Amino acid sequence: MEKVVEAFIMAEDGDTIEIPGGFYSFNTQLIIDNKSDITIVGQGMEETVLSFRELRAGGEGIKLVGKNITIENLTIEDAPGDGVKAQHTDGITFRKINVTWTNGDKSKNGTYAIYPVQCKNVLVDEVIASHSRDAGIYVGQSENIVVKNSLAFGNVAGIEIENCDNAEVFNNVARNNSAGILVFNLPGLPKSDGKGTKIYNNEIIENNHENFATPLSDEPNGNTVTMIPPGSGVVLLAAKEVELFNNKILRNKTTGVAIASYQITGFPSEAPNWSPYTTGIYVHSNTYERTMDFPDLTRELGQLISVYNAHGKAKTQDIVYDGIFNPDLGEDISSNPMRVCIAETGIEEMHFTLFDLSGGEDDIKSSADYAPFQNCQVTVNTKVESLAYL
Amino acid sequence: MKKLERKKTLIIALFGIGIISFGCNPEEEKAEVKKQVILEAEEADGSYPYKRLSTYGFFEGEITDLNATENVVLYEPASSLFTDYAWKSRFVYFPEGEVAQINEEEEIDFPEGTIIIKNFYYPEDFRNPKKGKRIIETRLMINGTKGWEAWPYIWNDEQTDAILKVVGGSTQVAFTNSDGQEQLIDYIIPNKNQCKSCHNKSEVMTPIGVKVKHLNNELNYGFETKNQLAFWSEQGYLNGFKGLEAHPAMINYETESLPLDQRAMAYLDINCSHCHSAEGPASTSGLFLTYDQKDPMKLGINKTPVAAGNGAGSYIFDIYPGKGDESIMTHRMNSTEVGVAMPEIGRTTIHTEGVQLIRDWINSLESE
Repeated sequence: MEKVVEAFIMAEDGDTIEIPGGFYSFNTQLIIDNKSDITIVGQGMEETVLSFRELRAGGEGIKLVGKNITIENLTIEDAPGDGVKAQHTDGITFRKINVTWTNGDKSKNGTYAIYPVQCKNVLVDEVIASHSRDAGIYVGQSENIVVKNSLAFGNVAGIEIENCDNAEVFNNVARNNSAGILVFNLPGLPKSDGKGTKIYNNEIIENNHENFATPLSDEPNGNTVTMIPPGSGVVLLAAKEVELFNNKILRNKTTGVAIASYQITGFPSEAPNWSPYTTGIYVHSNTYERTMDFPDLTRELGQLISVYNAHGKAKTQDIVYDGIFNPDLGEDISSNPMRVCIAETGIEEMHFTLFDLSGGEDDIKSSADYAPFQNCQVTVNTKVESLAYL
Repeated sequence: MKKLERKKTLIIALFGIGIISFGCNPEEEKAEVKKQVILEAEEADGSYPYKRLSTYGFFEGEITDLNATENVVLYEPASSLFTDYAWKSRFVYFPEGEVAQINEEEEIDFPEGTIIIKNFYYPEDFRNPKKGKRIIETRLMINGTKGWEAWPYIWNDEQTDAILKVVGGSTQVAFTNSDGQEQLIDYIIPNKNQCKSCHNKSEVMTPIGVKVKHLNNELNYGFETKNQLAFWSEQGYLNGFKGLEAHPAMINYETESLPLDQRAMAYLDINCSHCHSAEGPASTSGLFLTYDQKDPMKLGINKTPVAAGNGAGSYIFDIYPGKGDESIMTHRMNSTEVGVAMPEIGRTTIHTEGVQLIRDWINSLESE
């Protein structure tokens, strides 16, 4: 073990750190400190297993900082905080790694399995992320991002893109999380807002897991993810310029897609250079399948959908839109001021709900009228070719 | 290409030894310590880092007495970072003939070759520190050609020297605290790269304590009491000091006669702001805790967390004004659980007095 710790500490630019097969238990962190062109490679997910169960200090099992860093072919287990974190790194690749917690879905599990933050040129490819109490694959405050060919299951959030620019998420499976794929912009961060995300060719299936971000007996806390209702396929929150297409969004018991503004959280919604509204959304060509299960009632957003949707109490929804709009951009939701475009064939057969929350909690209204959001489209520009074919 | 020459067969062999000769392990460990102690004497040839602390020649006489030699100057920041109640004895070694300079940003530019020396020790009895002590580790920050670099040295049981150990370690420490209570602590010596978890400004290794604002105050040198920066200037180690009033100065958060908010900000600055600043590793959180922070949201007031995970507990805001016991800040300070506890490294115990200070301060903030 000490050899591995030392290899990380003494790494020089251009080094490859090979970690042979075996089970390694660490009581200290593995850190790459501002080095370039580093490859960390195991003999395979099944062969090289790095456990941080005994870690006694530090926010994450592995931390990577530098330029052009790749970590591949290994498993990371049981980190008390985050599994593997990369920060301030231009060029970070996570490939064929499995990051998990071995005690199942516990609220004591770590926060993020795979956690690039404040990075540029992020590639997540063929990874498995499971059982994290927040997001399995979480990309935060970064730009130029590809998440592909990966599996996220048993997490609270499967894949989350937060305060990021220029991201593509494709060919992934998000299954049995509380929520499948999330695009958020949260207030008060150094990278204050983000835009430009394409989510396509993913299977977003049966994300009906309990939300264990807080202990099951506890109320949600200030972490936004604790408020997410189980049974959510895709959640867009304060998201900007998102195209969601060609996905299979199947059997998520609360709603396939939720389009919401940050105000819905009830948290303070003002911050510099940031907007709480979700704008520029293009949802098209996806496949939906509802379930006969009851929508979530454990979270306020679940209750809202379950009780007040436009298709009858306790009916699963395909697409919900909270209808919160910026009054500076239009007088009425029917003018589609936030440019939310929905072009799904068979929309008339789908469960689409538009809420009207302008009357406050005591006067919640909803309608199934999708017309204002038809016959339009949003062009979302992303440019990630250089990453997609790495 | 660096390869770890530990192939599967060797790992299996190691497990085998562990099982067969389990009873012998303590002996083996001791043997290893001894082997380190009889490391061959090193020559102080200037190629840092040395393997042994003694090679640097920072101290004369009994090394444990930490009597500084020439060009090695005692310093003490106004407020101290909490490290499991460890006592600290800090020095700067100035290379012969070189001078540090206070720059326009009120930072001290140290000449190449400067070494910051920080010794962590525990008196056997905090009420009578002269009775005896155990030095656990000495951390050096060396300002080399490529900038600052940190090197951890672990003291041997005999207290005759400290040996460079980049992977860090841990040890149990027993002492009697200032209330006369027996204490036992699992002290963790961070690995070399964990040093950067705190000593980090925009990913560049940076000292924390040796800043103008922390040193612009009086220190008792034994032979005289003087403003530290004035003393450095007088000794010819520093240029650019224009007197106490001309530079920022931090207070000591332990001075109970000072206003609560100033004490709280001083505490947060020295304990948190090295990470929680725009240039620090915790910039991801948007929570910035420098002593001059005026923006309520950046200070955490009514601010929801971002990636706090377990750390949020059952609370909504980092600081919930008026609710010292319902704020994430005090919750994390009051925990020793990895993943919850803040700071993330450097302590395995709770700083009761620090938690109380921040709790009192949050309680004093007006709720909306």
